[in-house]
Amino acid sequence: MNDKQKDLIQKFAALASLLVLTAIFSLTSDAFFTVSNGMTVSLQVTSIFYLGIAATCVIITGGIDLSVGSVLALAGVVAALAVKEAGMPVPIGMMFGVICGGICGAINGYCVTHLKLPPFIATLGMMMVARGVALQITGARAVSGLGDSFGELGNGALFRIVNIGSDGFPDVVFPGIPYPVILMVLIAIAAALMLSRTTLGRHIYAVGSNAEAARLSGVNVNRVTLFTYVLSGTLAGLTGCVLMSRLVTAQPNEGVMYELDAIASAVIGGTSLMGGVGSISGTAIGAFVIGILRNGLNMNGVSAFTQQIIIGLVILLTVWIDQLRNRR
Amino acid sequence: MSVAVATNPSSAGEVILRLDGVTKQFPGVLALDKVGLDLRRGEVHAVCGENGAGKSTLMKIISGQYQPDGGVITYNGQERHFASSMEAQAAGIAIIHQELNLVPHLTVAENIYLAREPTRGWFIDKKKLVADAQACLTRLGVDIRPEALVRTLSVAQCQMVEIAKALSLDAEVLIMDEPTSSLTESETGLLFKIIRELKAAGVGIVYISHRLDEMREIVDRVTVLRDGRYVSTKEFAATSVDEIVASMVGRSLEEKFPERTRKPCEEVLFRVEGLTRKGAFQDVSFTLRRGEILGFAGLMGAGRTEVARGIFGADPLDAGQVYMGDKQLTIRSPRDAIDQGIAYLSEDRKSQGLATKMSVVSNMTMANPSAVANRFGFIDFVREAAIAKQYIDTLNIRTPSVHQVVKLLSGGNQQKIVIGKWLFRKSQILFFDEPTRGIDVGAKYAIYQLLDELASQGIGVVLISSELPEILGMTDRVAVFHEGRLTGILTTAATSQEEIMHYASGHKGH
Repeated sequence: MNDKQKDLIQKFAALASLLVLTAIFSLTSDAFFTVSNGMTVSLQVTSIFYLGIAATCVIITGGIDLSVGSVLALAGVVAALAVKEAGMPVPIGMMFGVICGGICGAINGYCVTHLKLPPFIATLGMMMVARGVALQITGARAVSGLGDSFGELGNGALFRIVNIGSDGFPDVVFPGIPYPVILMVLIAIAAALMLSRTTLGRHIYAVGSNAEAARLSGVNVNRVTLFTYVLSGTLAGLTGCVLMSRLVTAQPNEGVMYELDAIASAVIGGTSLMGGVGSISGTAIGAFVIGILRNGLNMNGVSAFTQQIIIGLVILLTVWIDQLRNRR
Repeated sequence: MSVAVATNPSSAGEVILRLDGVTKQFPGVLALDKVGLDLRRGEVHAVCGENGAGKSTLMKIISGQYQPDGGVITYNGQERHFASSMEAQAAGIAIIHQELNLVPHLTVAENIYLAREPTRGWFIDKKKLVADAQACLTRLGVDIRPEALVRTLSVAQCQMVEIAKALSLDAEVLIMDEPTSSLTESETGLLFKIIRELKAAGVGIVYISHRLDEMREIVDRVTVLRDGRYVSTKEFAATSVDEIVASMVGRSLEEKFPERTRKPCEEVLFRVEGLTRKGAFQDVSFTLRRGEILGFAGLMGAGRTEVARGIFGADPLDAGQVYMGDKQLTIRSPRDAIDQGIAYLSEDRKSQGLATKMSVVSNMTMANPSAVANRFGFIDFVREAAIAKQYIDTLNIRTPSVHQVVKLLSGGNQQKIVIGKWLFRKSQILFFDEPTRGIDVGAKYAIYQLLDELASQGIGVVLISSELPEILGMTDRVAVFHEGRLTGILTTAATSQEEIMHYASGHKGH
């Protein structure tokens, strides 16, 4: 087997494991391989995937963003307060939340590029600060009573087909495509295009592959790095709004440890923590591996604790395979 | 084979270390070819040679870091094979590295006894540690507190700590690799005093330095290496700096250089005035004419690379002006320099020139991505591949495809990709920093041809090289650097290796 074949096989290892997982769960549970469960899994994957996209861009530059879990909570809370306390219309309030996330990301980026803090430290600090602010401004209480329109983004669906049966009960023909899933597809396509087809994306890879060579080639390394953190914060803000909208309640304690799911999905998908390597398609696979594992194990009645063990082992296994690929 | 035997009763002393026919092979390079050396007790034996002559490799073999592929090392009358530097140390051979090997966050005492800490039960015996270190330092007559953190010390003080460490090993053989390169005159004086005391105590010292003038004070014998081969061993008193230099560079221009097609004109394309970057170079001024290749010669650390990086905006300048024609340029970053048509091809391709995880095509367009993208920033892959293909053909780069990951290509091909990158950027001034280092002869020739071709197209080329034959064979004029200063600008056709070496080692004239 030559290098090229090896590379190809390992590239599809993650995809293959995804298919194997699907096959196993379909056999063990009748309810698994259905349209409505497919939509459920997709919906569950959305938040991991939004954050996974953000993590992928940051990690490709050789950085890391640990703050997304806290930033999403802050953004969601800000959006809810803007709607409830300031009386803003829902879209404006949510816009506020997303911008708030972007600002957090910009602060992270500033700390990394200008204050030269290690990304791990800079975003660890933001992780605590953002969580603290979210708890502070809400008094650690959930913000509820937001009204139906606040829940539209998270709970609405496109192409939902419901027949009212003769007995008067609604009969769901097609559950529809939830808005978060549509948003996920749009963002994934945009991010994938940005990374693979634009000069900006090329620069992101170049910075992660060799920052000094990129700088000496005229790439504005600081600006590119800053951009990835702003993108990460913005996507975290969006994730926060979607999540809070699904709950129709803003929880300042939402999103704890989500950053680790995000990083895991990127890493399972072949993104190298050393920088310079990674793709959105890989992260999509990674996010779905995690989502399907959770969903399938749930359906088979596996406890949440065992699930953690299994997902942890999957991460170790995939990264080890990645190491093998890079070692030769 | 070539073993030095020059017995002279005046410096007679028992031979403590003897190397016979030592050979070391690295992938693609014969670093040492049957080199011999003998070191006597109480002697300072200098080893001289140009960069790449094999001095450092030889020292690493003596100190056990490398194992020779052939030859015999006799130490204290016994044949020895040191499997590691620890073994050599234990036997009494210590090395003081050119780049200091101290742990900055530990104290002086902890560094001196690193991995040999005196213990009491399971714990380090702090008292004994400090007392022993103090004893070593006192013996050297240096005033450094054993409790001081190494990172708070000056370079000279670190050097003293390294020597103290060697003394604490009760070393019988001490290897010093460029010990004075970062010392001031008075610090050098102190070092020499210590060396004389060590000599008197019967320690054999192997001394490597580019500063031939200083050797007069302490060196007894000198061995010259060239291209990994032994040349000669002589009593220092019976030779001269000129003779040593002559034997260091003494090869003919054996590498072939292409016939020159360029015709330098008088028009000044580019000039710099009074460039200074504190701690790296001072008051550097030169001009570059249209169509000429200007060489930067000098020893390692003379500031050639730093000057190029300063002009390119990779490091900030403290003073000086840069002119393109008559226009003064403001360069704050590599971006500015690139926009003005200046390119710098770094000496270390892997760490500074290429994104090795990326493809040939990505690297080729990295400095000029807007030329292959539409106004929304989307890259036109077809156009990009066509351009890469074009440079692959003109530069004769051997790669299976334009999408090949760069790290899988050979050094020569990687270098050509870097050149292609800057050609695609339509650069007017190209700084080539050691462009042929680590490249095989055939690829070298191709790169020489390319340099000549670029110059004949009216591009100003600066060639930074440590290989004098390359400087003599490829340049029109040579700027020689010594310790951050430009010591002379010579016309290549009217100079010689000896003259360049004299300027490079700080002499002006003979």
